Amino acid sequence: MSIHRVLAFVAIVLGALAPFAGSPYRATLNVQTLAKQVTNEEDHVTALELAAWIHDRKHGLRVLDLRAEADFDEYHVPGAESIPLDALVAAPHFAKDETLVLISDGGAHAAQAWVFLRALGYEHVYFLRGGLGEWLDDVMNPTKTSALTRYFGATPRKESTADSVANMRRRGC
Amino acid sequence: MNALLIAVGIGIAFGWTLERAGLGDARKLAGQFYFTDFTVFKVMFSAILVAMLGAFWLGRLGVLDLANVYVPETWLMPQLLGGIIFGAGFVIAGLCPGTSCVAAASGRIDGVAVVLGMFAGVLVTGLAFAPLQRFYESTARGSLTLPQLLHVPYGVVVCAIVVIALLGFRAAQWCEARA
Repeated sequence: MSIHRVLAFVAIVLGALAPFAGSPYRATLNVQTLAKQVTNEEDHVTALELAAWIHDRKHGLRVLDLRAEADFDEYHVPGAESIPLDALVAAPHFAKDETLVLISDGGAHAAQAWVFLRALGYEHVYFLRGGLGEWLDDVMNPTKTSALTRYFGATPRKESTADSVANMRRRGC
Repeated sequence: MNALLIAVGIGIAFGWTLERAGLGDARKLAGQFYFTDFTVFKVMFSAILVAMLGAFWLGRLGVLDLANVYVPETWLMPQLLGGIIFGAGFVIAGLCPGTSCVAAASGRIDGVAVVLGMFAGVLVTGLAFAPLQRFYESTARGSLTLPQLLHVPYGVVVCAIVVIALLGFRAAQWCEARA
């Protein structure tokens, strides 16, 4: 077989496989998809939803705490891993099918980390909407305990007017 | 600096390949317009196939990030007119910019004349740019690619171009045999 025929055969094989190979472009940030997820509130979880996931031992769940290590040592959500924001994006080592939940103090850093991980191609990423404060308020010290919150050792607290306003504000964002 | 050195290396390799393919000879180049010699078509389309299949599969395998590959922008009408002028010059001179440099480097007088004509054209266009600018910047389409234009997946375009190229090679061979 001549070299021309061999090269033509290689071109035919590579060309015939191309339509089935998918996109040659690397995963990139699709801002329209992200905006839709934010609008549909698919970007975050509430503290009670996270508590339910932990309680049910949701398959592939990883809770990532972005706060300083000292704060993490002082208190963290059960099963959480401490990982600083820069380390999180510098060498992400998560499986694509894992569910990643990001926690920071107020939620802003976790929301930023959500964008970074989505840009890196991770699909199942969420951040805890109100940060660790929401976890403490709604799971550890709720006004009314439930079987779920009692599972985490919740102690009820008396809701003050300030608490009510704070909760309303948080839920409104 | 490294990029410049690499560019010089690639340029020399490109020129050497053109010369080895016989594309420094104006008669050979003009032959395609008379359907007697399709060397230019075959060399250029082979290069397109190699680059296209290489870029697609290296991108798919994660070796090459296609987002970093520069795609020249499209200005429809100015580039159509430019293409017509370029084609006319190609037929008249028997050489295109790359092959004229190869012809000049291998000592052909017509190659030197075309290179000088090319630089004269660049100079005249630059001097007359102000009145041309409006047309020059008209019908802008951005970095347009065939998959975007045709609304089909990249892989389908790759497959179609391979088929077109191979049919083109066969047709060129048929024409050359009859000449």
